[in-house]
Amino acid sequence: MRKLVTTMAVMLLATTAAFAQTREVIDDAGRTVQIPEKPQRIIAMHEALIALPLIELGFDVIGVYGRADDGASIYDVDFIKSVFGDDPSLQIGGIGPVGDIDLEKLRALKPDLIVGMGRQLAQSEILSAIAPVYLQTTMAGSESGFSIEEQLAKAFGRTAVFDVKRASYLERVEEVRASLPEDPRGKTYLAIIVFDQISAVRDVSGAIQAIRDLGYEPYDWANRVTNEPAKSRGFAVPLSSEEFALLDPDLLVIMNSYMSADHSEGGIRARLDAIAPGWSRFMRAAKEDQIVFLNSAEVATPTIRSALHTLAAFEEWGR
Amino acid sequence: MIVTRALDGRRVVLFESGLKVRVGDLAALGGLLTAILAAAIVSLTTGTTPITLGDAAASLWRGPDSGDLSFAIWDVRLPRILMGVMVGGSIALTGAMLQSLSQNPLADPGLLGLSQGSMTALMVIFVLFPATPQGVLPLAALGGGLAVGALLIFLVGRGNAGGMAILLMGIAVETSLSSMTSILVLYTPPEVSLALAEWMAGSLFRSSWDSLATFTPWFALGVPAILLLGRSLRSYDMGDQVAMSLGENLPFSKPIILVTAVLLTSAAVSAVGPLAFLGVMAPHLANFISPTSGRARLMLSVAVGALLVVCADMMTRGFAGDIPLPTGLAIVMLGVPMFIVTLRLRAMRRMRGQ
Repeated sequence: MRKLVTTMAVMLLATTAAFAQTREVIDDAGRTVQIPEKPQRIIAMHEALIALPLIELGFDVIGVYGRADDGASIYDVDFIKSVFGDDPSLQIGGIGPVGDIDLEKLRALKPDLIVGMGRQLAQSEILSAIAPVYLQTTMAGSESGFSIEEQLAKAFGRTAVFDVKRASYLERVEEVRASLPEDPRGKTYLAIIVFDQISAVRDVSGAIQAIRDLGYEPYDWANRVTNEPAKSRGFAVPLSSEEFALLDPDLLVIMNSYMSADHSEGGIRARLDAIAPGWSRFMRAAKEDQIVFLNSAEVATPTIRSALHTLAAFEEWGR
Repeated sequence: MIVTRALDGRRVVLFESGLKVRVGDLAALGGLLTAILAAAIVSLTTGTTPITLGDAAASLWRGPDSGDLSFAIWDVRLPRILMGVMVGGSIALTGAMLQSLSQNPLADPGLLGLSQGSMTALMVIFVLFPATPQGVLPLAALGGGLAVGALLIFLVGRGNAGGMAILLMGIAVETSLSSMTSILVLYTPPEVSLALAEWMAGSLFRSSWDSLATFTPWFALGVPAILLLGRSLRSYDMGDQVAMSLGENLPFSKPIILVTAVLLTSAAVSAVGPLAFLGVMAPHLANFISPTSGRARLMLSVAVGALLVVCADMMTRGFAGDIPLPTGLAIVMLGVPMFIVTLRLRAMRRMRGQ
């Protein structure tokens, strides 16, 4: 009898513990998902937009799209290395090529949570057989700065970690603003990235968060170009080189494509000269030398660390 | 059932029902089915989880369980192999049907705009109605394909136009729809365009028992298509005039062939995405293996299409590692060299014959 009671008590406790270890959340796709209370092994379905914010929040990201088995990026840009440095603990495994996930490899990593992007519904149905899949919206148009990281922190119970990091970051903002030659508050900025064409950088990145927190206001470029670009187009939206030269922000922030091997000021200027010849003679910000050059691989992710890289570049420019 | 010789001197198997099948075609089909089986067995042992032939056989005998090996066999590899067989067979069958219908060796579901019709419908859903449940997508693909089929029938007339007219109208429709999808991609949010790019590359990654259950009825449509349309297609091979003189009812059979092609194509596109060039390639390879027409040609094309897709999928899993190798590209890498070699060999045979 005693054995029976003990067994029942153990079973009851185990069941209670099992329930206590998971909780129900509604993801950004409106799905109700049972996720672990404290996720230990996460697979991220996008490196820059999902994996990096999770790593910054202290989660153990064990697999990501676009990585080889040895952790090397199969693309020209390695965002993890660019943003967090060459940290051996961040050797994250791959889950197969983009578009053809290796389900066997993914399962072998034994994830307890998979975090995908808002529209990866078809994939999530397949992946749910391996681990719960939480879909996080990353480009719906309402995100800005490092809001994705803030939302992930809230969803997975790491708000305190996020708040500490943000507080430290805001102190750094004050420090850098004080070091600038003049108070940036009220001045306008235009951030561009140079791919095959010039593109205006939208809101989702640590770079834009830092620039705005310093006090710069977005230059209203959308209403000053001939073709008003579509909304909700993600990280950047193309501008014609002619339209670009007509814009008149107080500060110009320029970065080269993340795929580019050259992020130096000379390299970026040369690329921009090839696309928009004479831009530096037309634009007021260029004539007044109000230009900050950034490394897009460091600053383009929606993380606090990317925002800190941006502040470092502004501090350097202020000197 | 007796083996005898046909009028052209070739050996045929004569069944009691009166059905005649050439021995060469039977041998070719037997060889292809053996090759598919062999490819499927190798495919079962190819992938990230190391699995020997014995392990695979034991797992298949035991049935599914919760282990890694069972997951690899039952949840990943087996559905992919079966989906590969069905999708490859369907697209190849469609290609063979359309080539006979249009009397043009280049015709395939892609060239006639049928695949593009399905793709455009799916993209419209992705862009304008992103919250649409996944289960609706095959129906949307079907709707898009049927719309293109109906448009083609309308444009070429019910049976009065020749095969070249169907082909040219198909190319015009395909080009217009391609432009429309390009515009849609331009105005699609990046999250959606990323998902679209993955899907458009073609992959068997989403194969599961559920998707197989959805696709099987469409694949099953191929059986009556071969049995009922094979004879008509043999007449079409000789040209519309001859087909009519042989008693073929063109205004009746042309729309039926087109609609069957649309149904098979749309189902395949919604399951794995577009698999370019397969519809052109598979019937040509089948024709090289055993030059024939009618039902035999359709069946051999199905077998070649199935074999190509199973092998291509094995390539994406086994040899590519972490290099992104979409199934569509693997099919091209595998099939195009064979296609070129067979064309060269055929040309050499022809020269020798002269």
